[in-house]
Amino acid sequence: MTEHVMSARDLRKRYRRGVAVDGVSLDVAPGERVALVGPNGAGKTTTLMMCLGAVRPDAGTVEILGQRTERQRRAVLARVGFAAGYLPLPPHIRVIEYLTMFGRLYGSPDPKGQARAALDRFGIGHLARAIGTEMSSGQRTLVGIVKATMHAPALLILDEPTASLDPDIALRVRTSLLELCQSEGTALLVTSHNMTEVERLADRVVFLMNGRVIVDGALESVAARLGQSNLEDVYLHLSTIPQASRARRAT
Amino acid sequence: MMSTISAGRPRAVPALRRIQAIAVRHLLVTVRNWQRVFDIAVWPAVDTILYGSIATYAQHAPAGGSARTALSVVAGIVMWHLVYQAEIAVATGFFEESHSRQLPGLLVTPLRPLEWVLGTALQGMAKVVLGVTAVAGTAALLYGYDMFDPGPGIVPVMGLLLLNGWALALIVVALVLYFGAGSEGLTWGLLFVILPLSGAFYPVSALPSAVRPLSAVLPTSYTFAAARDVTAHSASAGPHIAIAALATVALVIVSVGFVTASLRTFQRRGFISRYQ
Repeated sequence: MTEHVMSARDLRKRYRRGVAVDGVSLDVAPGERVALVGPNGAGKTTTLMMCLGAVRPDAGTVEILGQRTERQRRAVLARVGFAAGYLPLPPHIRVIEYLTMFGRLYGSPDPKGQARAALDRFGIGHLARAIGTEMSSGQRTLVGIVKATMHAPALLILDEPTASLDPDIALRVRTSLLELCQSEGTALLVTSHNMTEVERLADRVVFLMNGRVIVDGALESVAARLGQSNLEDVYLHLSTIPQASRARRAT
Repeated sequence: MMSTISAGRPRAVPALRRIQAIAVRHLLVTVRNWQRVFDIAVWPAVDTILYGSIATYAQHAPAGGSARTALSVVAGIVMWHLVYQAEIAVATGFFEESHSRQLPGLLVTPLRPLEWVLGTALQGMAKVVLGVTAVAGTAALLYGYDMFDPGPGIVPVMGLLLLNGWALALIVVALVLYFGAGSEGLTWGLLFVILPLSGAFYPVSALPSAVRPLSAVLPTSYTFAAARDVTAHSASAGPHIAIAALATVALVIVSVGFVTASLRTFQRRGFISRYQ
């Protein structure tokens, strides 16, 4: 049996503007909820995209359910779900049609039925016939998460899922995600700038800065280890210490 | 204390500055997008070649051959629309994903690039049928042109023209993957460069000698030559179809290779960040 749902080893990526990811290693266990946090430009999204195979790493490997992403792309991606707060729904297409398309892409024998069941699970069955442009940003985000979860992935990767959402809608998204992870044993890898959200959603936190992992640990232990009272303070603390010190801390 | 607006200042100066601001803003976009050269310089040159070559073809028609020249032009526009509609359907299908920022979501599903192309081409067939029916119906109604008059020989030519259109669409998709949304204008720009150089409405001998070498390297030139032969019931139609088939296969191979290489570059250079 595979020990980790996902295992990334020594990922490196350099763009023309500089180094984006500089030797990130990251394991996610079955059912584990991991938050990848850090300031803008820390390398969070590039790391996620390399894990998903959408960006090719300069070096390093990603294994999902024991299979290398670049070699077994289709098999791997069939077990992964992805949604991002910044990705809109397509215009001119109803929610049920959009979800049915993704059901077909994931090889569902009953894509429409699966789409309806997934909408009901998140309590938004009434949105089935709505068009993306008619919905609020919170509703669109929920539909994006339904799309990412309807094929029962082993690993759910979310990039800024609740960015720019009202607190009540963000709470609903978090609650739905927690229920899904607990009932299905789905592992979660999520990026966020919202430390309160991370504290409520994740059970492990990985701080990235300048493309490197600075701190990686259980949610309750990270703040204590760094002598801070909460994650917000950890974030601010790590942002203010010099880069060389952060590098030493990482080792 | 609140500041006051200077009452005596001439109004023309700030107005000129605002006009200058807008002009500079658009000029910067133009000079930083080489693709816009198509609109500014290439299209007018292409139009000149197109209409100049039609005129040359008509001028050199043998005595009593004007009917054949007219047939060639009308048949050319019908055949051209097979290429045009096929290319537009696939290329705009890609832009639909691109504009609505659906590419990241699709790239992380089990969908293969070839499956995407085939799915888009399949829906594009409906557009091709609709577009070509409109053109052929108009040609039949107003000019008495029957596109099926050449008999079954027209079928492989139509198939080759469709393949040419899809291959050109892949080249445009490859350029957009590499250079970004600024290249989307090439969907139409590329077609309207290929149109006159391929001799859709006239034999390539009607082209100015300076551009004939360009015509010789375009696979579409051979397909349109075959289409003309079939339309004119020429005995050389068979060999020309075979040459056109080889040229089309070469174009398909080049376009698939190009779009594959562009997709790799897209993934290697992290161009997916354009959609974030």
